[in-house]
Amino acid sequence: MAASVVTWAGLAAFGRACGSIRSRLLGSSSTLSQVSCLHTSTELNSKHWERKNLVVYPPQQKDELRRPAEIYHCRRQIKYSKDKMWYLAKLIRGMTIDQALTQLEFNDKKGAKIIKEVILEAQDMAVRNHNVEYKSNLYIAESFSGKGKYLKRIRYHGRGMFGIMDKVHCHYFVKLVEGVPPKVEQKTGFDQAKEYVEQLRNRTIIHSL
Amino acid sequence: MATSICRTLKYLQPTICLNIKLPQPVFVPIRTKKRYFIPPAVNVKQKSQSEQETKARAAGVVVRQQYIERAINISCTAGIFDPYIPPEGDARLSTLSKEGLKQRTEQLRQSAASQLAFRKIKDHDNEFSTKEFPALAQQIFIDAHAALTQFNKEKLHSLVTERCYPEMVRGNRYKTLRWRFIESLEPPRVVHARCPDMISKGNLYGQVTLRVHSRQTLAIYDRFGRLMLGDEDEPRDVLEYLVLERHLVNPYGRWRLHGKIVPAWAPPKDPIIKTVIIPGPTLKPEEAFEDLHYQVPKPKAVQWYK
Repeated sequence: MAASVVTWAGLAAFGRACGSIRSRLLGSSSTLSQVSCLHTSTELNSKHWERKNLVVYPPQQKDELRRPAEIYHCRRQIKYSKDKMWYLAKLIRGMTIDQALTQLEFNDKKGAKIIKEVILEAQDMAVRNHNVEYKSNLYIAESFSGKGKYLKRIRYHGRGMFGIMDKVHCHYFVKLVEGVPPKVEQKTGFDQAKEYVEQLRNRTIIHSL
Repeated sequence: MATSICRTLKYLQPTICLNIKLPQPVFVPIRTKKRYFIPPAVNVKQKSQSEQETKARAAGVVVRQQYIERAINISCTAGIFDPYIPPEGDARLSTLSKEGLKQRTEQLRQSAASQLAFRKIKDHDNEFSTKEFPALAQQIFIDAHAALTQFNKEKLHSLVTERCYPEMVRGNRYKTLRWRFIESLEPPRVVHARCPDMISKGNLYGQVTLRVHSRQTLAIYDRFGRLMLGDEDEPRDVLEYLVLERHLVNPYGRWRLHGKIVPAWAPPKDPIIKTVIIPGPTLKPEEAFEDLHYQVPKPKAVQWYK
C-alpha cells in the first residue's frame, strides 16, 4: 500500500515535471528557427521526387570533372498494380535509354506503354530544360514503383457476405543520368566459391596456443 | 502521516472504492459508433448541369459568383513607344574623329520630339538633368544586373519595371549567372526621349534611351554547374541602348530599366556551348537529305527590343 502510494505520487510529479520541460522546450523552439529535436513535417502536397529537379549546384571549376546531368521524373496514380509494375521497373534498371525504350515497346504488359511515355517525357524535359546535349546519352540510374492511393469498392460474395475490394493504383519513378551506364561486374559461381574458400582459410582461432 | 494519506487519497479517488457512494451519471451503451466501412457507390447516375443547379437551389446552397478578372499593371507601360533607331556604324566611328563628332551633334539636336519630351519630364521631375542622368542610369543598370546575379527579387523589382522583369528572369531561376561590369569605355549619353500617355490624357510616362559602351564579362552556368555560355575571364566590349522609364505623374515613381534596343546591324550573338538539333524538312520516302542541299534559314536583320 505504502509502496504503491509513493509510486503514484512520484509518477504524477514526474508527469507534471515532464510537461513543464516540454513546454519550456517548445517555448525556446518558437524563438529559434531550426530545432533539431523536433520533427518538422513538410507542407501538404509536397512531392519529394519532383522537387529533386529543383536542386541547383554551384558552378564547377575548369579542372573539375564535368558533373553528369540528373533528371528525375515520375507519374502518379497509374491504374496498375505496384507489384506488376515492379517487374518492368526492374527490367530497365541500368539500361541505356534507347535500349529501355525498345524493350518496353515490344513488351506485352499494360505498364510497359505507360513507362515508355514517362521515359520519353523525361527525355524531352532533359533536352529542353536541363541542358542535356545528346538525348541518347542518357541511362536509367533508378527506376522503381510505389503504392498509390487505393479506392475501395464492395465485392459481393454469396450468403450476404461481402469483401472490400481495392482498386489499386501505383506511382512510377525514374531517374535519368547523362553518360554511359556503369558496368556491373558479373560474378561467376567459380569466383564466389573461391571467395568462400578464402574466407574459410582466413579464419583464426583467438587465444590459442 | 495523516496529511500525506489525504493527499494520496485525492490522487487515488477514481480507483479506490469508498463506502460513500456518490450518485454517478448513468451510461447506457447504445451502438452508435460506426464500425464498418461501405465504399462509395460507383454506379451513380451523372446529373446534368441543369439538374445539379435545381438540386442546389432546392437545398439552399449558393455558389459564389466567379470573377473573371485580369490584373493590369499601371506602374509601367507595355513597350517602348517610338523607339530610337540607332544609326549604322555607331560603334565603328570614334567620337574623336570629325565625322563621329558631326554624327553626335546631329543626333542630339535633331529630334525636336526628344527636346519636348525632356521639357515635359523636367516639369514633373525637378531633379532631372541631361548632364547628370546618364551616370545615375548607368548605376541603376549595374545594380539591376548585380541583383539579377544574386537573384534579389525585391531589389530587382525596385530597379527594373514589371515589363522588363520577366524578360530578365525567365529561364534563369535554376541557372547561375556570373556578370561583372569592368569599366565604361565611353561616358553614357542620353540619345532619345519620349513621353507617352496611357489610357487617359494626363497619365504621363517618361521613356529615356541611353547609349552605353562598356566592357563586361558574362558566364551562365546551368543547374549542374556546367558552363552554358560565355566566359568569366574574357571581357567583351558591349554597345547597348537602354531604355529607362518612370511614371511621371506618380510622386513615388522612380527611373527604372524598361528594356534594351538591339539594332538591326548588331553582330550575331555567340552560340551556346552544346549542340542543338534544328528541325529540318520532312523527307518523302524517295528523297535523301544530302541531295536536297538544305540551307539553314538565317533570321532577318530587324531591330528588336529586349
